[in-house]
Amino acid sequence: MKYVFLGSFAFLSLLSGIAWFIQPEHQRHDRVPLIWVSDPNPARREQVSVFNDLHSQYDLKLDPNNSGMAKVIVQSLAGVGPDIFDCYGGFDLSGYVKAGVAWDVTDELAKGEIHPLQDCWPGSFSVFVLDGRVYGMPTNVSVNAIWYNKDIFDACGVPYPKGECTWEQFIPLAQKLTVKDENGRPKHFGLLADWWGWKQFVYQYGGRVYSEDGTRCVLDSPEAIAGMQLFHDLMYKYRVMPSPSDEQNMATTGGWGSGTITLFSGGRGAMAVGGRWWLCTLRDNKKLRLGVMPAPFGPKKVYWAYGRASLVNKNSPHRREALDFLRYLAGREYNDLINHQADALAPLKKYCYTPEYLHDPEFPNEDYNDVWRDIMRYGVPEEISPFVDGHAAGRLIDKQLDLVRSDEESVEKAMRNAARQVNGEIQKTLARDPQLRERYERTVGGERP
Amino acid sequence: MSAPGRRHETLAALGFLAPNFIGFLVFTAGPLLFSLAVSFSNWSLQQNIPFQWTGAENYGELAKDKQFWIYFVNTIYMMLGMPVAIAGSLVCALLLAQRLRGIVVYRTLFYLPTFVNGVALMILWKALYNPSFGPINAVLDWGLQMLHIPAKAPQWLLSTANLFGLDPQELAVTWTKFGLGARDALIIMGIWIAIGGNNMLLYLAALTNVPQELTEAAQIDGAGRWAVFRHVTWPQLAPTTFFIVVMSFIGAFQGGFEQARVMTNGGPSGTTTTLSYYIYTKAFEEFQIGYASAISWVLFAIIFVVTMINWKFGSESWNE
Repeated sequence: MKYVFLGSFAFLSLLSGIAWFIQPEHQRHDRVPLIWVSDPNPARREQVSVFNDLHSQYDLKLDPNNSGMAKVIVQSLAGVGPDIFDCYGGFDLSGYVKAGVAWDVTDELAKGEIHPLQDCWPGSFSVFVLDGRVYGMPTNVSVNAIWYNKDIFDACGVPYPKGECTWEQFIPLAQKLTVKDENGRPKHFGLLADWWGWKQFVYQYGGRVYSEDGTRCVLDSPEAIAGMQLFHDLMYKYRVMPSPSDEQNMATTGGWGSGTITLFSGGRGAMAVGGRWWLCTLRDNKKLRLGVMPAPFGPKKVYWAYGRASLVNKNSPHRREALDFLRYLAGREYNDLINHQADALAPLKKYCYTPEYLHDPEFPNEDYNDVWRDIMRYGVPEEISPFVDGHAAGRLIDKQLDLVRSDEESVEKAMRNAARQVNGEIQKTLARDPQLRERYERTVGGERP
Repeated sequence: MSAPGRRHETLAALGFLAPNFIGFLVFTAGPLLFSLAVSFSNWSLQQNIPFQWTGAENYGELAKDKQFWIYFVNTIYMMLGMPVAIAGSLVCALLLAQRLRGIVVYRTLFYLPTFVNGVALMILWKALYNPSFGPINAVLDWGLQMLHIPAKAPQWLLSTANLFGLDPQELAVTWTKFGLGARDALIIMGIWIAIGGNNMLLYLAALTNVPQELTEAAQIDGAGRWAVFRHVTWPQLAPTTFFIVVMSFIGAFQGGFEQARVMTNGGPSGTTTTLSYYIYTKAFEEFQIGYASAISWVLFAIIFVVTMINWKFGSESWNE
């Protein structure tokens, strides 16, 4: 029997040896490998390719399978993390910094005459700047405008919208464009909007998620409630926007799957709140005739800005080499490419003021690029509080907003509950973290929570 | 056998066991004990929070954590489908134990949900639960209309309603929440998956072991089909039922993660968040590893106690 085992062992060893010998070469030994963890957007391939062409000493590879904060942090702390990874929000950045995996590159970038705080859109700061220190470079940035479907406007005999308007002025237009079929089912809605964009409504009505010093959640303020009430009313009072149930129904009947972009692309909405990055999908629908107008505003003319940034892993053996990738993000080639791919807006302002940006010869019908650039000036970054974990707070807020979305709870009660629960979570966080508690006490002037 | 021979044999046995045993120590027992230790600490993946042993603080906090108790109730609620699933498995096994032509095909068909990728199944069920145009509500609406019942079919995955009127925010009953909602939708799907699953196979195997002479003796004594089942088959299946019940309890306490992750994200309003999903969010979204470990050990303790109770009462009835 032992000869059988020995024989099997030898055979398997031989096979392993052969496999090792004939394995395809994963990396080019003459180049320094760099791993970039990002999303699997097809646009990334070209972004990687341009970098590799510009930097013959590197072999940059995209790794979309290890994205996600938990994976990046755990792998980076274990020494097997990526060299560069993407960050999608202010709370994520705070998490990466607290975990010690995001490298403070303020001085490194300054040495290379890169000044993101001057050159980038302020709306993007929350994804790469924390407490005045720079931890990466923004890769793109966006605010939401209103996409409109010209064919639906033509069919309804409504002239294309022009210029800016308030929500009060906008609602009658959306009502005209909400049409039902002969069975009373919605044929198309006047407006489509992703629920996750609720912060824009809160900001526009003068509300905030956290107080300016970040010590309290203030979603229970009258302003925040008013903003959220409008978002709710668009679904249940004015009925110009689909409720969650309507959205599911439209997705099935239309067969385009779910999601606001796909619903809009399928003609289920005359207008939709969305960013320039929607073009990555909408360009595939050649029949769609599109226009863009600035999103309506409330008492305050602000738009919630959001984006993505690439950060360098502090524990990476190639972190110095990865700086070249950040320099690439600050360069013309990358910024022009982002504008051309319509992966939102280029992170550096100056590249959005070029003739190529305004009129891309490859897409002559896209005559609305000035709108994105103009409203970007009103973009405000996401608010964060250093005193609470963003995911914990987000979960509590989402729990309440779910009830508003399904019309099971009044906006006022849900927002009050959300603020109360998040403030409770802040106190729990302070109890866990003595340093943070000291900072909190300093911020509130020695007042103990 | 001589002493050197025995020693040689022992060494050989240990050698063969070693790979498995080392693997168990490194990948199972080690992390298990590590998580127990961590549950008495404030360990998080945040460098600004210095590591500290906090004693039973996490466990104390857990007792006061309203979310934990709400998700615990969710977990218990999800077990409502367990008796139906077990009974369904038994009925299926009884049917599939018949000696019919092509019975293997039937057995394969019933076992199919176990083979199919769970995520794919869940996406399919998500479409089935579409409130207005999904086939489930189409049938329900038609039925309600035929019976002239002025009611609407449930909103399923979009609704926080449930059979007991549990409030999603508090440990309380609210009359507006009575109905069928996301939790019930997941229970029904779970029953469908479980009926033709491993429990059915276990029952099938157990049915083949029921002594034929007992059944025949009962039939000669004039027992009908139900009497044979009630007094012969069912008692013979008791050990299997006991095993299935114990394993189902363990599975149910640990379950709910996949459904929450794929179908509902734990919503609406946290109603489909079970303890396993809560552990995940605490550990890998909020990075409170110590606290998440404490929840895991409390979950273990709950499972252990429930299994012991099952064992005590279940094995007593089995011995009877």
